[in-house]
Amino acid sequence: MSEPDLTAESVADAAASPFTMVMGDPAAMVCEGDVCFVPGTEPAE
Amino acid sequence: MHMHPLHVLVTSPIKIDIWSDIACPWCYIGKRHLEAGLEALGADAPDVEIEYHSFELSPDTPLDFEGSTVEYLADRKGMPVERVEQMLEHVTGVAANAGLEYHFEKVAHTKTLKAHELLHFAKANGKQLELKERLLKAYFVEGGRVNRIDELVGFAEEVGLDGAAAREALESGRYADGVQADIAQAGAYGINGVPFFVIDGKYGISGAQPAEVFSQAISQVAGERAA
Repeated sequence: MSEPDLTAESVADAAASPFTMVMGDPAAMVCEGDVCFVPGTEPAE
Repeated sequence: MHMHPLHVLVTSPIKIDIWSDIACPWCYIGKRHLEAGLEALGADAPDVEIEYHSFELSPDTPLDFEGSTVEYLADRKGMPVERVEQMLEHVTGVAANAGLEYHFEKVAHTKTLKAHELLHFAKANGKQLELKERLLKAYFVEGGRVNRIDELVGFAEEVGLDGAAAREALESGRYADGVQADIAQAGAYGINGVPFFVIDGKYGISGAQPAEVFSQAISQVAGERAA
């Protein structure tokens, strides 16, 4: 795996985030509400 | 020997702040990936200080949902049962790869606010990491009820906390404001999903990223400090 991208702005909430987002694996799962999903996709899995 | 303040600054542990819930399968997996990332650094691993912050994924979860995870998601989200089962099978497989034995058929869906209050109590008493692990295991592996004070006190005692003090903290709700402050802080940071990791107050990592992402980000921070 290459070096993490420490400069890229992140997913949906980059504008509100005070942090420099590490993009890492774009397929990494997060949970929101009752469901978990890959950011940027339909919240179904 | 007199220690220069700058020396203290340079050698202080790298802070890792983590927003997560207990009812969050990817939070437990992300926890394991972070631990593996730190382990992979071996002797080069810098000192880190990990602090968990509260996040309530689903505030309208009933206190006692009497039914399976499949029923919960199918009824609540209107998802076809077959699709829910496929989803849970996928998560279970990823968890197994991380060394976790999930049993969704046992999971007791519930509100997690009381468990978060106990995590704050544990933090105040130096046992937050131990309790976080215990609560996640209880929820995903054992089917434990993480909203009932009697059971929570039992988990507290298992990790070496004083049971009577834990009960008093839960019954008085002394840490409820602290829980809400964590949740509000997440909102101020634009954190909508968990797990969410903040390394050294600078770098944000969203989701259950692979171990390598954590080890590389932590190494980078250590390198920046040494520069």
